[in-house]
Amino acid sequence: MKRASFLRFSAPSIALMLLLLALPMAMTLWLSVRTCTPELELVTVEVTGPFAPQQVITQRQTLDAAGRPVERCGFVGLEYYRKVLGLDRTAAREAADAAPAAKGTAAAAGDAEGTHNEFLSALGFTLFYTLTTTPFVLAGGLALALAMNGVSRRLRGAFIAASLLPFIITPVVGALAIKWLFRDNGLVSSLLAEVGVQIFWMAQAWSARLLIVVYGIWHVLPFAFIVFYAGLQGVPQDSLEAATLDGASRWQKLRYVTLPHLAPLVVFVTLIHLMDAYRVFEPVLVLTKGAFTGSVQYLTYTLLLEENNPYKASAAAVLTLLGIAVLLVPLLRRTWREQRGGPG
Amino acid sequence: MGLRRRDALAALVAAPAAARAADPACGRLGLQGQVDLVANAFPAMQHLAARAEQCRSREFKVSVKLTPQVQNETELAFASAGRSPFDAAVVSQGVFSNLYSRNQLYPMTELVQRHRERYALEERMLVRVDREVMAIAFMQNTQHLYYRADLFERHGLAVPSSYPEMLDCARRLAAREPGIAHPIAQTFSKGWDLATEFTNLLPSLGGRFFEPASAEPAFQGAAGVEAVELLRAMLPYMSPNALASNSDDVMNQLQQGRAAMGVLWASRAARMDDPAASRVVGRIAFAAAPSARPGGRSASHLWWDGVAMPRNGRGNREAVFHVLMHMLGPDAVAQGNALAIWVRSNYQPGRAGVGVRLAHQAGAPVWPGEPFFSLAHNQLGRTLPDALTGVRSAAAVLADAAAAYRVSAVEKGYIRGTRTSA
Repeated sequence: MKRASFLRFSAPSIALMLLLLALPMAMTLWLSVRTCTPELELVTVEVTGPFAPQQVITQRQTLDAAGRPVERCGFVGLEYYRKVLGLDRTAAREAADAAPAAKGTAAAAGDAEGTHNEFLSALGFTLFYTLTTTPFVLAGGLALALAMNGVSRRLRGAFIAASLLPFIITPVVGALAIKWLFRDNGLVSSLLAEVGVQIFWMAQAWSARLLIVVYGIWHVLPFAFIVFYAGLQGVPQDSLEAATLDGASRWQKLRYVTLPHLAPLVVFVTLIHLMDAYRVFEPVLVLTKGAFTGSVQYLTYTLLLEENNPYKASAAAVLTLLGIAVLLVPLLRRTWREQRGGPG
Repeated sequence: MGLRRRDALAALVAAPAAARAADPACGRLGLQGQVDLVANAFPAMQHLAARAEQCRSREFKVSVKLTPQVQNETELAFASAGRSPFDAAVVSQGVFSNLYSRNQLYPMTELVQRHRERYALEERMLVRVDREVMAIAFMQNTQHLYYRADLFERHGLAVPSSYPEMLDCARRLAAREPGIAHPIAQTFSKGWDLATEFTNLLPSLGGRFFEPASAEPAFQGAAGVEAVELLRAMLPYMSPNALASNSDDVMNQLQQGRAAMGVLWASRAARMDDPAASRVVGRIAFAAAPSARPGGRSASHLWWDGVAMPRNGRGNREAVFHVLMHMLGPDAVAQGNALAIWVRSNYQPGRAGVGVRLAHQAGAPVWPGEPFFSLAHNQLGRTLPDALTGVRSAAAVLADAAAAYRVSAVEKGYIRGTRTSA
């Protein structure tokens, strides 16, 4: 009876989760180990139109008896994973052999400098972004929440609304606003130039990365703030009063009463932000198109939309998912232990 | 230019009203059912979408999806194993080559023959492949030179017809004109933009992208290295932010009077004279893009945008064609003259509408039509910044791009097997 009602209550959400989470994930996994290639024939065609007629040598997909384009699909195992991770040295070497560079130094230069691994550099920046924004988001959110708690009630509404704005703005619009502040002739660039500081923000790695990190903190801080602010409303007043009577300083009250009360929320905000930050995408797309700042998610996007290869993009997406899982393991274990150890 | 904005606004405002009062010309056809189109989201398309929606009636639904992801949506829809959710799409030339190579386009030859007179279709609008009409082009674009006529005159500089001349002008302007620290502004942004700069230069230097009659890469040869060196030679005259400068940023630098010259899309020309956004109204003049080396042909490409129908359509081709033709009629051009460089002959080019003619006269080629070109272009966009920042040599970066391109061309079936005899 108890079990039956439990099932009845949870069935809709389980069904939805299967449909909207598990199924797409399973399909992504399925796509990532497959590939389809069209069957093509070489044709020479004459193209006329708005411009002068042209002879174009092109490849055209063959059609089957029913007039449908012919495609060969098959299982490729972990080939795309190896390629995304840059482990597939044979394919790259063969390609380099088959595509000889300009005579002279080129091939030698290529060997000496090593081939560039896009995935590793994207992973590097993604982790850098995730790990640098997290402490700022937590500390900044907490500071803002504490400050807001001290503001008179009448002003709070307006302040809260104002500080939530960055979180409400669409990420692409927010990133565009940051770009326009810092590009040539941008407000910040111009003001700095007035006082003799000329920085070209997108011209080198440190400043381009800094801009994206600043965007990340600016955008997510309000989320941390509102969660901590809500948590502050539940801090037991009697404990605080008892601490005051015992002669605790403001810092001691914060350290020994308020913060322990907020601890679960700190874990919650960290968890959400780690997941979000690891998927950093919009600021990379808008601000730099990945120059100095490629991210794992942006790489998946280029594989899907620019290289137009859904199979390889699926492999990159699965790798992103694995990355998030690894990042979250310590936090999830902690939450799991707390849930099991907690009352009930 | 104010007119452009007003036109776009008017089109937006007019759309719902027009939808209510169906256009009699379209209404008389007694169309029934439903037509779904997909197109890019820019002002000229908003104008055309409003016209397509004039065909709506109680019995006939027309919807136009305007999206920046049009290429992806179109390719997915036209490749679908079932019926395409879109009955027609607005495609650029590059997307057209991909779709044609996939044999996913429906030939419109018969439809054109049947209705040619009613809709005054001009031969130059018809994109024919081996005489079959596969698309109908309605607007054109190219990249051409923008330059500050006032500054060139003040310093006695001639309009550059080659990149070496342009670098020379830049050197002189940087030295003599105090407000212009970075005379050249061009779209060097990582990815599509930078790859397009390379694409413009390579043929002008006598290079080619692929081995003849094959998808094997050839852009990593000597001409490719020369093209990268030329791009690198421009950097000292450009803002250090160049590797993040897209068309918007370049337009802004020109409008704000911070840059004195650059090759940019013709579709941006009208906005140089928009008093709301430009400090240099009337002072920017236009010329063909310079050639990469003296005496060569213009380092630019010609583009068209047009409509195409999928092979896996829903069987309402006649109705779809009527809607498309109503959308692209001569009065569409007359009413939205300033919104684009139209293909129809009743287009009246203003001061800013001369780009395509200039490029044509200077011998700019048509954008590469090979379906595997976009793969090469993509790899170039990803790797070229390394050569410009000096992290690696031009030759090494091009060799890398060629190798990565070859891997993706094998994956997509354009190059057979993993190895060919070199």
